[in-house]
Amino acid sequence: MTDTPPAARRRARLGLGNDWAMGWLLCAPAILALLVLRVVPALIALVDSFRQASFFNPDEKIWVWFDNYVFLFTQSPTFLQSMKVTVTFVIVTVAVQTVAALLLALLFVQRGWAMSFWRTLVFIPITIPVAVSAVVWGTAMRGDGILNAALERLGIAAQPFLASPDQALWSVVLTASWIGVGYWMVFLIAGLKDIPEDVKEAAAMDGAGALRTFFSITLPLLRRPLAFVVVANTVANFLQFVPAAILTQGGPNYTTRFLMYEIYTQAYLQGDVSLANAQIVLVLIVMLAIVALQFRLLRSNT
Amino acid sequence: MTRFARLSRQIVFTLLGFLAALAFMLPVIWMFTSSLRPNAEIFAHFHPLSWHSIWPREWTLANISGLMGTGFGRSLLNSLIVTAITTVVGISMALLAGFALSVLTFPGQNLLFGFFVIGFSVPFDAVAVPLSATVRDLGLTNSYFGLSLAGLGNGFAIYLLRQFFAGIPKSLAEAARLDGASWLRVLWSVYLPISKGPVIAAGLTLFVFQWQAYLWPLLISTRPDMQVGPVALASLVSLAGTVDFSQMFAGALVLSIVPAGLMLWLQRYFVNSVARSGMTG
Repeated sequence: MTDTPPAARRRARLGLGNDWAMGWLLCAPAILALLVLRVVPALIALVDSFRQASFFNPDEKIWVWFDNYVFLFTQSPTFLQSMKVTVTFVIVTVAVQTVAALLLALLFVQRGWAMSFWRTLVFIPITIPVAVSAVVWGTAMRGDGILNAALERLGIAAQPFLASPDQALWSVVLTASWIGVGYWMVFLIAGLKDIPEDVKEAAAMDGAGALRTFFSITLPLLRRPLAFVVVANTVANFLQFVPAAILTQGGPNYTTRFLMYEIYTQAYLQGDVSLANAQIVLVLIVMLAIVALQFRLLRSNT
Repeated sequence: MTRFARLSRQIVFTLLGFLAALAFMLPVIWMFTSSLRPNAEIFAHFHPLSWHSIWPREWTLANISGLMGTGFGRSLLNSLIVTAITTVVGISMALLAGFALSVLTFPGQNLLFGFFVIGFSVPFDAVAVPLSATVRDLGLTNSYFGLSLAGLGNGFAIYLLRQFFAGIPKSLAEAARLDGASWLRVLWSVYLPISKGPVIAAGLTLFVFQWQAYLWPLLISTRPDMQVGPVALASLVSLAGTVDFSQMFAGALVLSIVPAGLMLWLQRYFVNSVARSGMTG
């Protein structure tokens, strides 16, 4: 054929049209990383989750197929509890963070003095290592800590925080929320700034009040960034590990036994790697389902 | 709106912004001042709560300097080395992939992009346990390379660079190709010089995530001299029944200053890149 468009011919001659070898070559390091750091260990976990150390010879593994999964849901003393803890934690933390991040984003798009500096300070906690945040908050929440000193000053009785089965999980929620709010706020600020000025002006012109404008204009237009924040935040909090590992060891009374801590304990302290791998497979299924949901949300609701 | 109304609105918003910043900074300020006061003073001024609960009567650098004689200095150095490796290798990987996926045209590129974003969206910690067994079999425990694996693959970095490169007119690449430049040359001398912002944002993300890594170093660093900062900090708290709070706060401060300082310095690149990536829009 001679009637190919000149642009396409030029692109083909320049090698802009078909660079499959170069394209895959440049992507090779990232593909290798994806395989080694995600896909292969996931497959290893999957295969091993169908096996179990032989009762007669602990060095030998035999195929038990779904026995590990059946054990988790019917007999494991800790798995269902850790699921409950994790799901409760994720729902509350994501809700608190999203609402707080949205309110802060609405504040920081307003005019004022040094607003971007205040915004940066709210953002700082995400850069601080989680281990640091855990020990600092843990120290603040001690019986003789500064938080109880503040409560005493307000005339409120001292609280046990991490030491009590009733408060431990909420204390971790507080710490985790403090860490993450500023980060998610950045994405919502970006979303707010994407809303065209004339849309807001038109609403103001029609005499819509601030609240009315927020619920009927801003919120619907913010649907995509909000969906992103909720999903990414859920994924990030689902594998919470550090507070349990450093502060509570999953206690008191298993009330902060996060799933990732349960897996770690199962594999390294109780030495049942296959059972841990079965839990990892379940976690991966949940993660992939959430991420897939995100893609559906972001793709369809334009 | 009158001039007066506008001014009072600005004052209210500034005040609210300041209060929000203060609320989020209080734990940081407390950590900062506690690490710079004598050990005996840290818990001394809580009853009743007063100005001196958070503001030292006496300032000292002894806690920080005392830290350096212990194994903590070594752990800090390990963290710096590991994070440097992750950031440099991770950003190179993301640059090559982001460039190929946006500037070149080849079959399977959209599929590949989807795999990267979905695959790396699953946090590394999810596969840390099975991977640690393999890493142990390969003899990579207690190595800088092994430690740096945690943060290497970052979907956000690839996404950010790919979106930015896609916004650069293709005619630039075509002109350089006409002059006989190789693809790597095009990336290095045409794309990289105009991509400072997103490259810094991607690098910052890689840095902050690797610097925080906790579970992975816990699994594969068994020797004390190969421990990283966050794990060393946690062992200051949990090893001894009685905690040396001056050491703990000093360690916390040093571990926070590195990433927080970088972020304070470079945050506008991060914020701008997020805003321009179309991540949310």
